[in-house]
Amino acid sequence: MSEINSSKTVSIISRQAPYGSNRAQQSLDIALAAAVFEQTVNYIFMGDGVYQLLGNQNATSIQSKTLVNALETLDLYGIESIFVDSQSLRERNLIPKDLSLKASIVSRDEIAIIVRASNSVFNL
Amino acid sequence: MSNLHTLSKAPSFSLLDTCLSIIQAGDAVLFIEDGVYHCQQSTELLGNSEVKFYCLREDLIARGLIVRNLDVIATVNTQGFVDLCVQHDGIVNWF
Repeated sequence: MSEINSSKTVSIISRQAPYGSNRAQQSLDIALAAAVFEQTVNYIFMGDGVYQLLGNQNATSIQSKTLVNALETLDLYGIESIFVDSQSLRERNLIPKDLSLKASIVSRDEIAIIVRASNSVFNL
Repeated sequence: MSNLHTLSKAPSFSLLDTCLSIIQAGDAVLFIEDGVYHCQQSTELLGNSEVKFYCLREDLIARGLIVRNLDVIATVNTQGFVDLCVQHDGIVNWF
């Protein structure tokens, strides 16, 4: 059987706050799984998803794992394309300095381009 | 009859406006779970001085907000949550 190049671009749009639901954790699981299978991954934080990146989180107070620590593993899995929607930050009175993860602050237009260039998009 | 209103969703769910539209003098609002993100953008909602606002401390700590909470919203721990439940006649959950 001939080998085919099956690498595709997968974009994940994470739109929910951490801890209130498991969607933020599931977004991360999808990203890490895709990276293990050597897909190109874009990770986009929009809406309440930007709350995942706040510094000083400590979820031991609610018997959970601190999500932002897990997000730091994205880099270890070779996921470097991390984007944050600037409008979502603005709407929540947040500034880039509040974020504890290295990420590119982008406009909605730039997100549209990323989504269009993706083979598949997970939106949760 | 006074009520304790617990609110457990982020401001993007727009629950607070609905909650405040039916609230009575002497009621209290306690932000829990993702509701604690309201402490980020609270100045206009605190205009209603007949209603007291509280934030659950454990949820603020988890979400990295304990350093960002505005002084105008009191924080309570889980014991304080229980006390608020006992102090009011009823509880209304907004979720």
